[in-house]
Amino acid sequence: MADINIIHNYPKMGIPMGKLKPKRVRKNIELTLWERLYIFEIIRGMHITTIHFFLNLLGFIFPPKGKKRRIMTVYYPEEKLTLPVAYRGRPVLVMRENGTEKCVACGLCEKICPASAITIIAEEKENGERFPAAYTLDMARCVYCGYCEEVCPKEAIVMSAEYEGLARRNRQNLRFSKDKLLRPEKSVKDRIEYIRGIYAKCNY
Amino acid sequence: MVADLIESIVKILFIFGVNIGFFSPILGWVERKQSALMQDRVGANRADIFGYTLIGLFHPIADAIKVLTKEDFIPDGADRLIHTLAPFISLTPAIVAFAVIPFGGQYELFGHRVNLIIADLDVGLLFVFAFASLASFGAVLAGWSSNNNWSFLGGLRASAQMLSYEVVMGLNIIGVIMVYGTLRLSEIGAMQVNFFDWGIFLQPVGFVLFFTCAIAENKRAPFDVAEAESELVAGYFTEYSGLKFVMFWMGEFLEIVTIGGLVTTMFFGAWHLPFVSDQMLLNFFRFAGPNGAAILAILVNIITFFTKVIFFIWLQMTIRWTLPRFRYDQVMRLGWKMFLPIALINIFITGLVILVK
Amino acid sequence: MQLLMFYIFSLGAVLSATLMVTNIKPVTAAMNLIMTMFFLAGLYVLLDAHLIAALQIIVYAGAIMVLFLFVILLLNIHEKEGETARRKVIIQFGSIAIVGSLFIAMAKLSAIDPLMIKAVDPAFGTTKSVGKLLYTDYLLPFEIASFLLLAAIVGAVILAKRRIDDSE
Repeated sequence: MADINIIHNYPKMGIPMGKLKPKRVRKNIELTLWERLYIFEIIRGMHITTIHFFLNLLGFIFPPKGKKRRIMTVYYPEEKLTLPVAYRGRPVLVMRENGTEKCVACGLCEKICPASAITIIAEEKENGERFPAAYTLDMARCVYCGYCEEVCPKEAIVMSAEYEGLARRNRQNLRFSKDKLLRPEKSVKDRIEYIRGIYAKCNY
Repeated sequence: MVADLIESIVKILFIFGVNIGFFSPILGWVERKQSALMQDRVGANRADIFGYTLIGLFHPIADAIKVLTKEDFIPDGADRLIHTLAPFISLTPAIVAFAVIPFGGQYELFGHRVNLIIADLDVGLLFVFAFASLASFGAVLAGWSSNNNWSFLGGLRASAQMLSYEVVMGLNIIGVIMVYGTLRLSEIGAMQVNFFDWGIFLQPVGFVLFFTCAIAENKRAPFDVAEAESELVAGYFTEYSGLKFVMFWMGEFLEIVTIGGLVTTMFFGAWHLPFVSDQMLLNFFRFAGPNGAAILAILVNIITFFTKVIFFIWLQMTIRWTLPRFRYDQVMRLGWKMFLPIALINIFITGLVILVK
Repeated sequence: MQLLMFYIFSLGAVLSATLMVTNIKPVTAAMNLIMTMFFLAGLYVLLDAHLIAALQIIVYAGAIMVLFLFVILLLNIHEKEGETARRKVIIQFGSIAIVGSLFIAMAKLSAIDPLMIKAVDPAFGTTKSVGKLLYTDYLLPFEIASFLLLAAIVGAVILAKRRIDDSE
């Protein structure tokens, strides 16, 4: 039931279904004499591009305030898109409030990782709790499939929305250790709730 | 004699400065930015000096540095001499053709008669054509000498296309020559004082045909079959890199400017403002003394001329980014089966009208 | 100055013509022929015949040589074919050189009177004067030439057309 609601709440995009008419594909279009004279149709086409050119030129010289800009290109380093929760950025380890990781070093993610990107060295505390002494994620091998997140019983590894800093000149620099992977729980809260929603039905 | 020499040197430096110093670097930026605006994009704006991007105007500088530091590559099995020579052959005509295009009238300056044209040849128009026809060698030889099938096909296409469109272009010009009765471009310009004597009113068909043929001659879209990137990688300059590649590029841009200048001179009143003759300008600037008036009038002439040229550059860019590429057989059919008869009919009608008058 | 230019142009023309005949590569030979055309145009300019010079470049260098190159490229003539023909070419070239030197000797014999050379009239060689001459004194040869060209065009069309019919 919940799934149906999601579909209904989805923002309306594109042409409404009611207005879409099945169009016949026209092969071997017979041009009218007017069209075959080229020049008038060319002028019509150039009229359209010229209007775009001058409107954009105006917007270029006097940039309109707010979101009314016609050019939708994102000026990347200065502007950044807010990514949807479903976006799978680089995997991060979730950090508890006391600064330790949620991970219990069960090794499921290591096992399921199709690219063998994860290496865990497990250790045991005095009270019997397991924890990863070293958790290495080789970002040069990661394929962003999200299996680790799906398989994790403790919601300890999630796909964050981060996508920067993943281009390095040396592959050694892409082997992220635990301190680089840990993120406070607050920053990935949306994603955790989202994965609860999508993986709940599977009943792990 | 000395005054003549100084005059020539100043004019040559001016045209060189405008063409190579201003137009050829700036047109690369214009093409990027204009195509971006026409397609609702942003365009080049990343190159910066101390954080100032200046709407992407530093890109030509960045390009120049990049190009100068690139490897100059000659492919294996290529004809080294011709491979090196071809870019020069295609760049030179574009620069030389501007020598016979007038950018102003004749004025008396410090007791010396100044004619604002580098070489006032009796065969001005034919001179332009002679050098335009040489530009095709650049493409053909580049295509042949690269030892590459894509280049070779591009060269073949370029030679056939340019040859065909040259014929039509030559026939178009005959209409203009008949109307004005001279081949001297400065005289053609001087005859268009009266607004309704502008070539566009006397030869409207000639203008459309000439402009189209000129674009085809320049091998820009929609006639860029010789360098069609979806079919032939980059056509005849596939195997070029670094400075030689840029020479083809510059040749193309300078030819845009030359076409703009030719169209302005023949069809759009050359250096004249509508309804304003040179004498009226001199009278208007009487307050500055005879020499000052002449200098001001020359300035007005040059600004008018280059404004028109810039408009036609803009128009060519708009056409280039609006229309899709013709298929090769369509290009040839358009040239031989549509433009050639229309040009002949145009000559015939022009002759009839002159005879009746 | 003019004499110097004349020697430069004529030397260039003769040199590039020689290279044209002796070169093995067809494309290089064609390039040399273009150079010859250019030097000849330069000679015409020296003779105050600007129109002829411009036409020389347009028609020969611009149009005909592009067609030459087009055909050379299209047929893709190999250098080997040129090599076999080279000896023949050298023999022919030698005979031409001998005949040419004979002509030069004949010309030397009938020495030109320097007083015969006089300044040309300023209208000489302009488009207008050439046009006038073509349409008055030389009307008949002009028309015959145009008729010949027309016949050639028609012939070309017929030849091309027949081939299309054959293939169908």
